[in-house]
Amino acid sequence: MIRPIWEYITGLFDVHLDFGPEFGGIRGRVQAIKPMVLDRWIMPPFGWIKINTDGSAMGAPGNSACGGIFRDCKGAADLAQLQATMQAIELACSSIQMHVNPAAAEATLLSLSQSPRPYHACQFILENSQLANARFQAAGAIRDAAIREWALLEAADRRGLISFCLCFIMNNANSPEGYVLVKVASVAAQLLKRGWPDFTAAEKDAFFLEVKEAVNGSHGLDVQFVGINFLESLVSEFSPSTSTAMGLPREFHEQCRISLEQDYMKAFYCWVQYAAFNVSSRIIEAHSEIPEVKVCSAALRLMIQILNWDFRGKNAVENLKRGIDVFYDGMKQENSSLRRSECIFVQPGHAWHDMLISSGHVGWLLNFYTALRQKFSCEGYWLDCPLAVSARKLIVQFCSVTGVIFPSDGGHMQRQHLLQLLAGIVQWMEPPDAVAKAIKSGKSESELLDGCRALMSVATVTTPVVFNELLKNLRPYGTLTLLSALMCEVSKDLMENRTDDETWSWVARDILLDTWTTLLMQLDGSGHNNSLPPEGISAAANVFALIVDSGLKAASASVLSDGDEYDFLQASVTAMDERLNSYALIGRASIGATIPLLTERFSERVMRLHQGKGISDPTETLEELYSLLLITGHILADEGQGETPLVPKEIESSYTNIMEVDKHPVVILSGSIIRFAEQSLDPEMRTSFFSPRLMEAVVWFLARWSSTYLMPPERSGENKSSYENCNETQHSTNALLSFCGENNQGKVVLDIIIRISLSTLLSYPGEKDLQALTCYQLLHGLVKRRNIISHLVTLDSWRDLANAFANERVFFSLNAAHQRSLAQTLTLSTSGMKTPEASNQYIHNLTSHMTASLVELSSKNDLKTIAQQPDIILLVSCLLERLRGVARASEPRTQKAIYQMGFSVMNPVLIFLQAYKDESIVVYLLLKFVTDWVDGQIIYLEAQETAAVVDFCMRLLQLYSSNNIGKISISLSNTLRTGADAEKYKDLRALLQLLSSLCSKDLVDFASEPIEAYGTSISQVVYMGLHIVTPLITLDLLKYPKLCHSYFSLLSHMLEVYPEIIAQLNVEAFRHILATLDFGLHHQDVEVVDLCLRAVKALASHHYKDSGAGKVGLGSHATSYKEPDGKFHEGILGRFLRSLLQLLLFEDYSTDLVSSAADALLPLILCEQSVYQNLANELIEMQVIPTFRSRLTNALQSLISSNNLSSTLDRINHQRFRKNLHSFLIEVRGFLRMFVLRGHCYGSGCFLAARLGWQHGSVASIDVKQACPSSIRPTLAGFGLNGPVLNGLAILEPNPNPSGLRAKWATIGL
Amino acid sequence: MSDEEHHFESKADAGASKTYPQQAGTIRKNGYIVIKGRPCKVVEVSTSKTGKHGHAKCHFVAIDIFTSKKLEDIVPSSHNCDVPHVNRTDYQLIDISEDGFVSLLTDNGNTKDDLRLPTDDNLLSQIKDGFAEGKDLVVSVMSAMGEEQICALKDIGPK
Repeated sequence: MIRPIWEYITGLFDVHLDFGPEFGGIRGRVQAIKPMVLDRWIMPPFGWIKINTDGSAMGAPGNSACGGIFRDCKGAADLAQLQATMQAIELACSSIQMHVNPAAAEATLLSLSQSPRPYHACQFILENSQLANARFQAAGAIRDAAIREWALLEAADRRGLISFCLCFIMNNANSPEGYVLVKVASVAAQLLKRGWPDFTAAEKDAFFLEVKEAVNGSHGLDVQFVGINFLESLVSEFSPSTSTAMGLPREFHEQCRISLEQDYMKAFYCWVQYAAFNVSSRIIEAHSEIPEVKVCSAALRLMIQILNWDFRGKNAVENLKRGIDVFYDGMKQENSSLRRSECIFVQPGHAWHDMLISSGHVGWLLNFYTALRQKFSCEGYWLDCPLAVSARKLIVQFCSVTGVIFPSDGGHMQRQHLLQLLAGIVQWMEPPDAVAKAIKSGKSESELLDGCRALMSVATVTTPVVFNELLKNLRPYGTLTLLSALMCEVSKDLMENRTDDETWSWVARDILLDTWTTLLMQLDGSGHNNSLPPEGISAAANVFALIVDSGLKAASASVLSDGDEYDFLQASVTAMDERLNSYALIGRASIGATIPLLTERFSERVMRLHQGKGISDPTETLEELYSLLLITGHILADEGQGETPLVPKEIESSYTNIMEVDKHPVVILSGSIIRFAEQSLDPEMRTSFFSPRLMEAVVWFLARWSSTYLMPPERSGENKSSYENCNETQHSTNALLSFCGENNQGKVVLDIIIRISLSTLLSYPGEKDLQALTCYQLLHGLVKRRNIISHLVTLDSWRDLANAFANERVFFSLNAAHQRSLAQTLTLSTSGMKTPEASNQYIHNLTSHMTASLVELSSKNDLKTIAQQPDIILLVSCLLERLRGVARASEPRTQKAIYQMGFSVMNPVLIFLQAYKDESIVVYLLLKFVTDWVDGQIIYLEAQETAAVVDFCMRLLQLYSSNNIGKISISLSNTLRTGADAEKYKDLRALLQLLSSLCSKDLVDFASEPIEAYGTSISQVVYMGLHIVTPLITLDLLKYPKLCHSYFSLLSHMLEVYPEIIAQLNVEAFRHILATLDFGLHHQDVEVVDLCLRAVKALASHHYKDSGAGKVGLGSHATSYKEPDGKFHEGILGRFLRSLLQLLLFEDYSTDLVSSAADALLPLILCEQSVYQNLANELIEMQVIPTFRSRLTNALQSLISSNNLSSTLDRINHQRFRKNLHSFLIEVRGFLRMFVLRGHCYGSGCFLAARLGWQHGSVASIDVKQACPSSIRPTLAGFGLNGPVLNGLAILEPNPNPSGLRAKWATIGL
Repeated sequence: MSDEEHHFESKADAGASKTYPQQAGTIRKNGYIVIKGRPCKVVEVSTSKTGKHGHAKCHFVAIDIFTSKKLEDIVPSSHNCDVPHVNRTDYQLIDISEDGFVSLLTDNGNTKDDLRLPTDDNLLSQIKDGFAEGKDLVVSVMSAMGEEQICALKDIGPK
């Protein structure tokens, strides 16, 4: 590839050739042989021509290339060179377009924008090139270069560049290649912004004067258009969200934004408003499309953009007011989670009042649009033409104008403003049915959609009451009625065309739903005082009825569509949750109508079900019931999300006049659903109607409903006396709540729910999802509530459930995880019993059967043969899952019974572990059971019990280890092999958890006497455990992040708390632990490294303190010795010291680690003074350059001496050392890491040269692939070698200026 | 609680059936299943429904434990599937014959000479090398539905 010539223009040598009078022979002198100090090109004196050359070589010897440039005292090369550059760029542009060697062409273009000061060439191209693309690229190059070199440019150059761009667009306004103009305009905008803080007001005004004239239209339409375009890119450049980063901090952008808003924004608006006004009158007069249309729509677009600006106000007072606006911002955030379509507030300050509100601007806009509408029949205008779209958008934008722009007259002015707008907008959507019909017959829907958007904007800035009143001034009905009528039309259309594509009615539905949500959410937030007006309530009721009916219709229609993604309840609930929530908001707003409606629809369907029994296919009705249950669930109750949800306010505050419990509509609705659910208990009904899917909805509903209404907790402040002096609200609420309260129907309903759960568990074999819902949501939710539990345990049905669970075989066919959850639920329910004795007895009864089975099975003589039988495996794993469930429900009051349970199966567990050593599933269950059981029990255990448990755990660990160590199993299948790995990992993780919970015994202990009484030492036990487990943990397994994490946290905990015991480990175990620590030190995860550092610190500190006190410390592990055969064994601390220093100095790590590294390093240095000295000397030896050598020596010295560092390991000393290490690293890391680089380089060693300060201009090359492993790339970047490291050869252009060391990368000949 | 008892009849030894029926819904990942007459290990289970208001079905993806072929099956989750009786027995390795058969020592002191060396290269070389070095090796033999194969190896070291 041929490199463009400017690649070479900044070589190191300045060869000056003197073309003197005696031209015959060129007298050449090499002038600059000493390093250049400046990093920019300096023109030669008059009469000289300067040649800059450069070259490079690929290997020595190898391919090489060189080039040069001749320049005279004007600095600029002659015309010929500019021509050549232009041709090169044009060639590159056209070859990109034709896709000929695009990479090379791109490199050429890149080289233009990356070359220093390419402005001359670029301007030349812009002015002379015939190729639009080349001009485009040249503009981009100006931008890139100027932003990069901005700081180096003279003030005059800066201004010159901007005015050049501005002049260019004005002069070429009629050019057909619009995109070049847009590009140049945006370059001008960016440069203007870049220099914004530096330009004086006069300078800025000078720029804008030109623009203003252009926008006014005094230079013709084309200039007017580009002027508006320039303003557009300027505004978007100054708006933080759309600005170019330019490598500048946020403060800069913020400052520019504020400055523009204060000083120019209004003026801009004024200019375009004037422009739009002028051209619009001409447009209206004309009868066909005229060029003014283009200008007008650009002006409207700019107005939209300016109104979109995030106004901040200008003075402190307004900032103070923004305290309120901030609240608005918060609201916006909150709402946006619910909404699909965004609505942004337009809040210009009051300074804009005269321009936007009182000047009749809105009126003009509306009139203009009305005039446009009449033109739609003309040629060149239609409903979706850009001009009409912009005009509508601007109108919608005006609907969301709010804030201090309106005087504080109680909102009167704002209402007037909105009324004016609404009068215009309403025409787009009225009458809704006719509009919908027109759309169906082919009319564009955009007016209707924009109308809906406008309604939403209005809803966002007003309260529901004001919203509704607005239209009443114009029509006999309110806005809410219009809204509901629109919704009706949309729903009708949705019902008719059930397609999967997003049609207009989808979009409209989403916007309208958001409008409702906006209106109703306000109600929610601001209390009940300004509830919906009566008209609104009936409108909401209409909408809701329609939603329900269309939902029902959709449901019955979708029955036959198979393979729906919402096949599963959980999925469908989450997917539709958003929409169901907005439906529920609407429904609750008209709660008076909603509940009876739902009740009616529900009983209608149930009736239909019964009538059609045996005659017709019930599936459609089932699906309808399914969707009814979902929506009813959302209306009646909120999702608890872990807390007990209260009765929704709307429900609570309505029906104040209903005193009798049985007449309360909510009670009637709930009652009918529960009665319906109860029918599922009848086997005949169940088989004919209650499909698994319907049952899922029933169970989901019951779970949601019961958490709000079933035996609600007594509210504080509400006691019996409140019945006497009750006001009506309270009474009604009480009526509602007491229906299912503890003294009323609550128990009956609870009984029904339990019986339904029992039947779902027993009578729907294999329906996992249904059973999961029952176990996890319904039953689990029930036992979480204290006042339910106490009734639960007295119920016969609950006892039946427990009995059946403990004894009936059919429960074994439940999913094992569900069995575990059931066992847990049953155990948890015992906290409702009156005495602890009763609870313990209950658990004993529950578990005795299971434990007995396990014991009996384990004592069989032929266990070894029968154990492998599938049915026995199933039995054992189910029983273990159940026991695990019970163990997880450990609570202080039931601890005794659960301990007994575990104790009785200790032996069987060990026997099974042996018998099932090849059945990984069972092994995992065994380990998990023990882990959960120990975790729940350990802190309560008495000393004797602890001894037994600890002994048991040790035997378990030993057995597991002997079964698995040294085992090689092979499977041909890849999947199975990785599966086996994962199993191993899970096992080990369980074991580590077991050890961790044993550890906790030392920290939290509720036993009456210390455990040492029975000769148990937790620390020893855990070390034993580690000893057993660590050989199983291979470095491969440590690649599982969770395992790695648990292992190292356990290890570092142990080392920190009991360092003395590690010395007692045997050599092999010790070595293994150290190997893993070493592995951990180089781990990717910062947290793991941190844990390891803490462990090393603990080790070293222990050794230092112990040996200081004359004890053995780590003993033989720490000392270095020579083996007889001459091999030198370094002590472990020395090894850690070496590897830690290596890490700190030469490798990449997070800076968060430096402090903990310092903590580990200090004791290491103190322990191994001599090793440290040796290492330091080695480091110093490696430095060749005297200055760096002395710097390093000093730094190493001050690392261990400055800040009054003493040789103790107290807190203060650690802190001092941290500081020392920080400054040490800052001082030396830079050049030490370069030193590492040298090792990778060959050739003339550019980095060496870099450190030597560039003795002469040798050109070095390094092989990127070899020299730049990923670890040193950051360093290269730090040295100024930016850009991608390319495959192939990199050329470093030496530059002597240390601060601006610059190098260019390019590929040569590859 | 009731007096009902679980009965574990000793179905052991000779007459033990090769498979056992188990509800499809309870078969989990990593469990065993018979598909098309082959004993397999389940690597994936998913559920689907027959129509909206129909019953659940289980979709199994499993791998033949002897041949490592992948097999799939769909079963209504309330129906029963056959689960193979997979047995693993450890034997000490006493000899490797030249024709590729191994000689194993059974618990009761007899020898078992009807097993071939495994086909897997890694395991094969481990066995051969280990045996050549004179290590005490225990091989684990997996058997199901009348087939047998060496599936694992363990060095029990010098006693």
